[in-house]
Amino acid sequence: MLNNKKTLALAVFLLAVFVIVPYLIGTTGRKDFYYTLTSVALLSIASAGVWLTLFIGRINIGQGAYALMGGYVSAVLVMSYGWSFWWTLPVAGILCALASILIGFPILRLRGVYFAMVTLVLTEVTRLLALALPITSGAKGITSIPLPGALSIFGITIIPDFATMENPRIAFYYLAAVLMVLCFAGMYRLVNSRIGHICMSLQQNEELASSIGVNIAALRVIAYAISSFLGGISGAVFVAATQSVYPSSFTVTDSVNFMLNCFLGGLGYVFGPMMGTLVLYFGWNLLFETGKFQLLIYSTLMIVLMLVLPNGLMSLRSLWKKG
Amino acid sequence: MEQVIANGLYLGAQYALIALGLTLIFGLMNVLNFAHGQMYVLGGFITYAVYGQLGLPFPLAVFASGVTLFVIGGLMERYLFRTVIKRSHREESTMLLAAATAFFFDAVILLIFGEKQRGVPKIVKGVFNDFGVILPYDRILVGILAGLCIIAFILALKYTKPGRAMRALAQDRVAAQLMGVQVERYTMLGFALGAMLAGVTGGLLASITGINAGIGGPISIKAFTMIMIGGAGVVGGAIAGGFILGMMESVGLTVLREYGDVTYLVIFATLMIFLSIRPNGLMGKPWG
Amino acid sequence: MAHILEVKGMTKRFGGLTAVNNVSFVVNEKEILSVIGPNGAGKSTLFKLISSFLKPTTGEVTFRGERISNLAPHIAARKGVVRTFQETTIFRNMTVRDNIIIAHHLRSKASLLGYFLGTKIANEDQAAFGKSADEILEFLGLLDIASETAKNLPHGHLRALGIAIGLATDPKILLLDEPFAGMNHDETMKAVTMVRKLRDRGLTVLLVEHDMPAVMKISDRIVVLNFGEKIAEGTPAEIQNDAKVIEAYLGVEDEAIEL
Repeated sequence: MLNNKKTLALAVFLLAVFVIVPYLIGTTGRKDFYYTLTSVALLSIASAGVWLTLFIGRINIGQGAYALMGGYVSAVLVMSYGWSFWWTLPVAGILCALASILIGFPILRLRGVYFAMVTLVLTEVTRLLALALPITSGAKGITSIPLPGALSIFGITIIPDFATMENPRIAFYYLAAVLMVLCFAGMYRLVNSRIGHICMSLQQNEELASSIGVNIAALRVIAYAISSFLGGISGAVFVAATQSVYPSSFTVTDSVNFMLNCFLGGLGYVFGPMMGTLVLYFGWNLLFETGKFQLLIYSTLMIVLMLVLPNGLMSLRSLWKKG
Repeated sequence: MEQVIANGLYLGAQYALIALGLTLIFGLMNVLNFAHGQMYVLGGFITYAVYGQLGLPFPLAVFASGVTLFVIGGLMERYLFRTVIKRSHREESTMLLAAATAFFFDAVILLIFGEKQRGVPKIVKGVFNDFGVILPYDRILVGILAGLCIIAFILALKYTKPGRAMRALAQDRVAAQLMGVQVERYTMLGFALGAMLAGVTGGLLASITGINAGIGGPISIKAFTMIMIGGAGVVGGAIAGGFILGMMESVGLTVLREYGDVTYLVIFATLMIFLSIRPNGLMGKPWG
Repeated sequence: MAHILEVKGMTKRFGGLTAVNNVSFVVNEKEILSVIGPNGAGKSTLFKLISSFLKPTTGEVTFRGERISNLAPHIAARKGVVRTFQETTIFRNMTVRDNIIIAHHLRSKASLLGYFLGTKIANEDQAAFGKSADEILEFLGLLDIASETAKNLPHGHLRALGIAIGLATDPKILLLDEPFAGMNHDETMKAVTMVRKLRDRGLTVLLVEHDMPAVMKISDRIVVLNFGEKIAEGTPAEIQNDAKVIEAYLGVEDEAIEL
């Protein structure tokens, strides 16, 4: 399945993520980096979801809605119903997937800008929902969410209670990293399997795909559901890490950023969202030093990027190959 | 009841103006102007600066808003969008460009005007109180002005040369080109006009509800909702969408007030159901 | 001979325009039937109606007695009614062989999840598809270009690939969309042989076409449309001598040379 070069690359990557990074952070004492990298990992999962929607030919600027939804589901289940965080994680994802199936039915047949427009509004509407529903406590959000408890199966503690840890940030980092690796492993498998080929056939020519018997409507819904599942999971872990959730935790800006991550990393490349998120997140953080000019410089750079590389970073790669 | 209708009408006229600008840009370039709400905000702030701070006459202030946004819109099309559209074969790039411009506007507005809510002195004092309707005169005036702008716009589109050129472009770009329409010039004009409409509406409404830097995004979303309802790229659709949203908001504010801020949720839920039946909105071009 | 496909009272209106008007005919099993007519006669529309890519305004299409006209196109395909497209419709960035393999979608026994997990059935499917693809490649004479990227193919090969994709679905009736368009004499003769081979394989073929010599040579029966209506139906000999057909075609030619 994987040839030698790729296996080596995978091994190096895993080593870097799980061993080298913690070691470096430990020795340099930059503990805040755990939070940064946890964010990158989680955001890349959400971006992967957006990438999947792109893979079936739809421009999805609404992932923020599902991240917010997932976050709230987890928060409410933990705070109001006393659930263990670990159970809320898959439930958040599944509820988001179900919601997306419901929403997907009317909107997935729309294409291009029209679909994008609807997803954009979706993010805003979720924010309004969070403000309006009593269960989400409105504008003040849900705060003081306890850290994840222990996860034990048959009396054996697999994951200790986060509250007992000296630095829960490390645990969140590992959690996020594991989820990210699983997510991208799954995506890689999907894209290179027959399903991936069918999705590509859908992307290249919908009518031809229909004529060979592909149920394009169903396929779109499935892809969108998986995408939203990823969004929900990402949001749930985020909320657990920050121990709070507000209606403004995920906004339209975040939805746009997920798209931007995919674009930057390369729309045709499975690991694109991961790279794009890394670059963009660090870029944004670096700009923090510029204070009130942060957004101005960021948006200017974004504009320049579109002007110079309108086909994303992957166009650099093909230029490289030619040169 | 009459109050609700009156409110809906005056709101609807404003919204229709916003939607018109957005749909013009969409119809001409197939670009969703993410920055539309921000253009509205900028227009509002310019009016605030000229009328509220410098004390110059209100019409001049609104004119200033319109002209500034017209120029900005034209420059944006010429140097940003035209380049990206030419060089990219993906729709995502123009969309991300549009999003970037929205962020840019937000940043600039914040830097220049700050975060505070700003208001201007009333342009007309007094309140109309008759037929069971209570409506301040300035709102009526603004509503009428908006209505006049809409009519002027429709007439211009129908009877002037640039108007016809733009309509031709929106319908079929290639055919228009073959008939000698200068695509580049009129696309730029269209974008500039769309921006101008947003700016003018911002200037008008600033005199009533004030203006602050944060409402750009939500206004954009409202504008998108309007053209989803009415159908994108069609003038009638924009107007219909604007008035429908205005009415729904008016109804929602009065009727649903007890249930909290659910007006927009209801609107969105209805929109979802509506889109399942008519994915192109009321009058939209078949798209999808 | 049994009817395999029946078109009953098919009418399609687009707003004020009636593209197809009350057309009825049957297709017999294992025959080659061509639908011809001057430009704008409604052939394309009829083609899309039969393959379920358009919904009729009134009328229906039945396949082996079962109504297919209101089904989604992929379900019609599943039933065995498969269409091809005009030449530029292939999966551009895949190799010829991969194009054919992926078109085997309808023959898969494993579920999508099975493919994701790599179950035994999924792997067996993949192996079977590979074999079947090779057989189709050989049948259509495409073996030498099996590893070429589809978008680099010349004209004639693209057409063959389109048919290969159709064949991969294991159809009962294959609908060919202008299979001889733009071909010179030699190419046309080769294509005619290929279509005959399809019938020999047990398929029924319905084709829509402009090229008269090819149609006359290959068809068992012909249906002629003009202005959306059926004006004639019969064997090539009958059609060639049908007054209405001659008028329909000659009338058009008269206008063209302004006589």
